[in-house]
Amino acid sequence: MIDSPIFFVVLTYLPATLGFLGCIKPKFIFPIAMLTLLGISGISLRAIFSGFETTYKLMWTGGIEFSFDQYTFPLLFGASLSLLIVLSLYRDKLSHYFYQICLVLLTALTVSFSSQDLISIYIALELTGFCAFILIADRNDNKSLFHSFQYLIGGGLAMLIYLIGVVQGFQFSGTFLITDLSTATTPALCLIVAGLLTKAGIFICGLWVPNIYSHANRQTAAILSGCVTCAGIAPIARLSVSMEPIRNSMIVIGILSAIIAALYAVFERDDGRALGWSSVSQLGLAILSPSHACIYAMQHGLCKTLLFSTLSSPNKKDTRHFSEQESPTNVPEWLLVAIFVIASLSIMGLPFTSGFITKTWLKGDLPLEASLITSTSTLLTATVYARLIWARVSIYRRNISRVRPHLIAISSGINVQTIILLISGILIIAFSLSYPGAYYYDNIQSSLTAIVLASFLYTSVAGLQTENFVKPVTKTLDLVGAPFVVAALLLANLFYFKI
Amino acid sequence: MRFKIIELVTLDTVILLPAIVLLIIGCFGILNSKSLINSLFSLDVIDTATISIFVLIAATSGSQTPILSSAKRYADYSDPYPQAIILTAIVIGFGTQALLCTIALRLSRSTPLLKYTNLEK
Repeated sequence: MIDSPIFFVVLTYLPATLGFLGCIKPKFIFPIAMLTLLGISGISLRAIFSGFETTYKLMWTGGIEFSFDQYTFPLLFGASLSLLIVLSLYRDKLSHYFYQICLVLLTALTVSFSSQDLISIYIALELTGFCAFILIADRNDNKSLFHSFQYLIGGGLAMLIYLIGVVQGFQFSGTFLITDLSTATTPALCLIVAGLLTKAGIFICGLWVPNIYSHANRQTAAILSGCVTCAGIAPIARLSVSMEPIRNSMIVIGILSAIIAALYAVFERDDGRALGWSSVSQLGLAILSPSHACIYAMQHGLCKTLLFSTLSSPNKKDTRHFSEQESPTNVPEWLLVAIFVIASLSIMGLPFTSGFITKTWLKGDLPLEASLITSTSTLLTATVYARLIWARVSIYRRNISRVRPHLIAISSGINVQTIILLISGILIIAFSLSYPGAYYYDNIQSSLTAIVLASFLYTSVAGLQTENFVKPVTKTLDLVGAPFVVAALLLANLFYFKI
Repeated sequence: MRFKIIELVTLDTVILLPAIVLLIIGCFGILNSKSLINSLFSLDVIDTATISIFVLIAATSGSQTPILSSAKRYADYSDPYPQAIILTAIVIGFGTQALLCTIALRLSRSTPLLKYTNLEK
């Protein structure tokens, strides 16, 4: 690897530069941008396997500290690869400014993954929020505009709460570095963590996730689930590693998130909302283990990107939510179904998929009391995906029996979209072979048992899924007030419960 | 653990009180707003309060302008680092307000009163 500060500065700021240049010459820059994304994912993949780490200071002494290490590279790989998948799959439908915003988003994400400085994280998260806001509002109808308003006002408030925490920490330590936060007071830590949790979309704070996913375009939902929610994970993981009290509190918050959001997802009928709730639950699991949080979030983000890209096109009758949401054209329908099933199985944790490996790493890191709850959450998640797979396959079969030529007809020749989908499907399976230590009897048995049990569980809850069994949370008050509740919960935990 | 209230009341905390009152007013506003415009204003109030807290905490070390000089007048200078950083937060706050106003403008074409009860259906 090239161990020079200039290389990493270029790595960080090249996407944004290309994005702004793309405003001038959109057609000329687009292929260069795709090559850059491919290059960044290649570099980060190599760095993951070689365990490369480096730190540097921008502007030398007294400057801003950046650290490219094993928290940064997995998330960087996930973010660049999911952007690559989405941009190439939806190439025909995108306006030019969509990919420009995506490139600026990648720079903001890289800064938030690699920064050691609370203020840089603040700026990067705000930029991420703005980019996500523009991507959500891209659909341009009243519902999505209102939800993007909610997202922006909730995110803005969360970042102000975070800023108050930062200045309280500064009062005692005199610097803005993450490592110096250990001298800060408990309320300061609570405010900082509450702000970060809102951006990461973890339960109570993450109530915005299902609303946005079901009301944004398909490609936007894929990008949001693939990279934007990961932005908060890296700072949380860094904080948890360096501070014992935060690590203990994260176990409480993570378990709450994993169980309650998974329960919501089981009883949800709308596919987009169910995927959103499941995303909240999976990120809750990710923060349980600080050392493997990033790689877990990366794997989950990539699978979610594939799931959202290959979700079935909605019926023409139900145009209430999905007026413009369509799966990519030019790709044979059977391939979409196959990728959907593989990505679902990976999140369920079937052996010989990447989800199995990351789940094994996560389980090895947990305290014994938490592992029971993790298994419950795995069971609930598997139930959700059993339903989703069943729904997807039955829609495909119905389409075949009705013979709709535009859905089934295999388009002429092999195109880029097909190749990208095939490669990503193979990658999910190939990654699982990189760590043979996970394949021992108990582990395989437990994951298979969870999946078989979940299939039975699905048939028993299928009757419960009436139209309005779960009321969707849409009130702005709930979304905006949630960070306060979490800050209070953390404060109570750190002062009195000391779990 | 018993709080000693007398020890808490120092000059530093008393200076911060107005900003914290402003913060509480803003939070009350954002949690009780009935329309988009109200919550937009409340967010701006919280923004101002946060910036005031930041600047006041930075000014506790001294109150003079931070200029490198041997003159006695500038000996008791305030910490320039947080004040330089808060400029970014001010600009970001302004950007957020501008984006929120755009959305409010677009939504007001279909729902002129911008009430949450009409929009949340």
